[in-house]
Amino acid sequence: MRMKRTLVAAAGMAATALVLAGCAGSPSDGGSASNGKTTLSISVWNYKQTPEFKALFDAFEKANPNITIQPVDILAANYEDKVTTMLAGGDTTDIITVKNLTDYAGYAQKKQFVNVEGLVKQLPADKIPALTSYAVDGAQYAVPYRQDFAMLFYNKTMFKNAGVAEPTNLTWDEFASDAQKLTSGSGSDKVYGAYIHTWNSLVQAYPAAQKSNAKWDTGDYGWMKDQYKLVLGMQKAGTIMDWGTASSQQTSYQTMFETGKAAMVPMGSWLIAPLLADKKAGTNDIDWGIAPVPQLKSGTKITSIGGPTGFGINKNSKHQDAAKKFLTFAAGEQGADAVASIGIVPAYHSDAITTKYFALDGMPQDDLSKKAFNPDVIKPDGPTGPNAAAIGNILNQEHQLIMTGSKSVDDGIAEMESRVKSEVLHQ
Amino acid sequence: MSTLTSDLTQELETAHTHPSPRPSRRGRRRIRSRLGKAAMYVALSVLLIVVLLPFIWMLSSSFKHDNQVLTVPIQWVPETFVWSNYAQIWNKIPLAGYLGNSALLAIVITFLQVLTGSFAAYGFSKVKFPGRDALFLAYVATIAVPWQAYMIPQYVMMQHAGLTNTFTALILLQAFGAFGVFLMRQYYMTIPDDLNEAARIDGLNDYGIWARIILPLSKPALASLALLTFVNTWNDYMGPFIYLSSNNLWTVQIGLRSFIGQYSAQYAMIMTGSVISIIPIFIIFLSGQRYFISGIATSGMKG
Amino acid sequence: MTTLTQRASVTRRPTSRSLRRRRILVGWSFILPNFLGFALFTLIPVIAAFVLAFMHWDAYNPPTWAGIDNFVRLVGDSNFHVAFTNTVLYALGHVPLTLALSLGLALLLNQKLKGIAFFRVAIFFPYITSLVAIAIVWNMLFDPINGPINQFLHMIGIANAPGWTASTGWALPAVIITSVWRDMGYYMVLFLAGLQAIPSEYYEAAEVDGAGRWQKFWNVTLPSLRPTTFLVLVLLSVSSFKVFDLIFVMTQGGPGRATLVLSQLIYQDGILNGQFGYSSAISLVLFLIVLVVTVFQFKIQQRRER
Repeated sequence: MRMKRTLVAAAGMAATALVLAGCAGSPSDGGSASNGKTTLSISVWNYKQTPEFKALFDAFEKANPNITIQPVDILAANYEDKVTTMLAGGDTTDIITVKNLTDYAGYAQKKQFVNVEGLVKQLPADKIPALTSYAVDGAQYAVPYRQDFAMLFYNKTMFKNAGVAEPTNLTWDEFASDAQKLTSGSGSDKVYGAYIHTWNSLVQAYPAAQKSNAKWDTGDYGWMKDQYKLVLGMQKAGTIMDWGTASSQQTSYQTMFETGKAAMVPMGSWLIAPLLADKKAGTNDIDWGIAPVPQLKSGTKITSIGGPTGFGINKNSKHQDAAKKFLTFAAGEQGADAVASIGIVPAYHSDAITTKYFALDGMPQDDLSKKAFNPDVIKPDGPTGPNAAAIGNILNQEHQLIMTGSKSVDDGIAEMESRVKSEVLHQ
Repeated sequence: MSTLTSDLTQELETAHTHPSPRPSRRGRRRIRSRLGKAAMYVALSVLLIVVLLPFIWMLSSSFKHDNQVLTVPIQWVPETFVWSNYAQIWNKIPLAGYLGNSALLAIVITFLQVLTGSFAAYGFSKVKFPGRDALFLAYVATIAVPWQAYMIPQYVMMQHAGLTNTFTALILLQAFGAFGVFLMRQYYMTIPDDLNEAARIDGLNDYGIWARIILPLSKPALASLALLTFVNTWNDYMGPFIYLSSNNLWTVQIGLRSFIGQYSAQYAMIMTGSVISIIPIFIIFLSGQRYFISGIATSGMKG
Repeated sequence: MTTLTQRASVTRRPTSRSLRRRRILVGWSFILPNFLGFALFTLIPVIAAFVLAFMHWDAYNPPTWAGIDNFVRLVGDSNFHVAFTNTVLYALGHVPLTLALSLGLALLLNQKLKGIAFFRVAIFFPYITSLVAIAIVWNMLFDPINGPINQFLHMIGIANAPGWTASTGWALPAVIITSVWRDMGYYMVLFLAGLQAIPSEYYEAAEVDGAGRWQKFWNVTLPSLRPTTFLVLVLLSVSSFKVFDLIFVMTQGGPGRATLVLSQLIYQDGILNGQFGYSSAISLVLFLIVLVVTVFQFKIQQRRER
């Protein structure tokens, strides 16, 4: 009796063990040196679908034959979740790609990266305007290789047909009245003069960048008021798509623009690469150009919004010297050359890079587009610093309430102020 | 083998082929029931449309270009049918490999979950011992803790065990869930205890009762547990995403989400992949649902 | 005489004790294979998370002791209040509706009809349809102006049709409807299995007693289904209290905080804001709520069985 029972139990366990053993994958180990070569592991997102990484890595390996790069592929959709988890577990991936300034604030606050101040001092700061975005209390934990910023994408054919002048140096008020002229049709034939995507940054960050007294992190948001009135007015006039519809239909700004549903789309420079790709593939045949984003006042410097993408060195990295070499490469001219060749806007600016960028197949060649490519100032598109995520979250929630009409502009802004003060600043 | 169990199995077998005869008191009800049947088909068909609408949209989107998917107003029939999506997806991502990985994980986890779950459920439902119910409640209550809460401690543990980036980690995490124990326990509770007593008198011990009587009787529950575990494992995304770093270990769900970029997404490809990834579940469901037929279960206590 | 009884009691006691020990051994031997895996890979991390609820931790640097700080903060946190209320409301809507519908569907599809397999698969399809597709199609159905739902409501004479996902008041009901629609097939499978366990003799006996359809349902089906109903009820409550995916895809918790639920708050504060101690405190509270609800349901079930 007892024999049998033990046998059954043992057999069960054995079977379990067998199954487990059979399925064990081989644990991959991070970069180890073999025949004098160093292997650098770098966390990236969607390696296959994001060609900028391969372009950058190939160029670096060519320039540094004794270093091999091994990408650690992570999904863009939940990149920060996985990086947070990996670093918590003591992962030794050498270099972490920093997706945005909000994530950077987290890494910097936890001091998960190596301070690369020394390296930064040797970079040509005047040519890399985004470099200062990573400065935190006299330290610097990352360098930028890519700098996206907002520009006004417009449909040249629609402007011509409506008899509207090209959008050179628009103010926001002019933007709204142009949108009025460009709007036509109704129902499923409706064409909007402009499309403003659902992100809160597309309303809030412009006054933040273009007004001198606007600050993200003091808990005062009166400076957003005029911009909200402008956008809500456009929504009421039907010259932009209703926020509720855009949000619930998960409307794609690329689709709105490529299918000629909207004549103007203020959007980040990242939209250029897919537009070029679709043109090449034949799924997009519109005649488009880019212009500087509208300003609050005419005749001022062109101030745009945007954020850098960069690289930081993991504190647990065992190849810090090689990693520093890579950071210098990526932030400098050679790195810029590599990413510009595939339609990505590099952090390093120079005439040579601009020329190279506009030589891309399908790029608009007019002067306005070239002007739009070099704004005078680029400011962050959201809060920065240690409270970035928490403040950004509140500003986004209240943005939704204002845009759906659940709250008036004044009430919404008052709520932002009181919530940021009590929940984040603990005043 | 004891006579009782052979009786039981025999009875089960006959129940399979000849469902126990229904009483014959329903002659005049026949017409009414035929009308009722027709009405039921109509109702079911209406239900079908409501239920399948998003799936139909998904199917239609899988034949579109990316920039035609998220249109306002919604587009039910593609302007041009892009059949090539179904050919391209295999080259854009190593879908075949991902399908294989998902299948391996889902099969192993389902097998272990069903085996250990139904085994433990016997202990929780048919053996009375002190602390049993408290332990059971602990099992059930942990289902309530959201994974986001203990994801990091779990990962740190696995990292120390050197198991991250292996299938073993995922199998260990998911095969011993409380869900299977709970489901099987509840099913066993419906099986009358008299059956156990009878079998015990017949000289079977608990392990024998589990293997020869309870297990064959609980085919519908085993089928539903296997089905639901398979589906949940197959569709799980965060688990494999956090634990599997090497691209050659990725599952279908990770593969599909790789079409969502930092700024834009290839929605047509996502929908194409989603349609393909449903097919295995569809087949599993069709083969599993035949166990949900009235008349399999008999208590074995009659006449 | 005395010696005999003495001897009897002497022999009986060890037997009952050893029987008890044997029961425990047998019970645990059944449970152990699953329990080992469960305890190591789920229970221990869960306990670790609960310990973290009493600490400050950023998921990287060593944690520091916080005492009940996190819980004090919780009491005054408006995000927690909002998420807590939304979660409870969601559960109150989602649980009974899904329970009733999945049971109804199981009864409907537990028949010998031609093509029944096809219908069963179809009802299960919402559960396996891509979440993105679900979000887009349901948002389209809920569209305040052009959506078929509101057009129907206008047709039957409701002038002030709700704004659904674009309004703060109706976003949660919209999410509940969608999730009921998505989950009913899943729980139907559990009910279908449960229905198979009801011995057909019970129905035959009821018919002999002259019971009609309803009487059979009330007197045979429902009582026999009690363990399954308990299973579905608990699983539904648990999944309602930790709902995340569907809401995240449909509304991201918005507009504003109209559909913000506890799981999303845990995710936000933990992963995104790097405050794992605080997010663990929220999880602990969530766990306690569900534990109370489950124990309550368990006790009721036990009492009914008696």
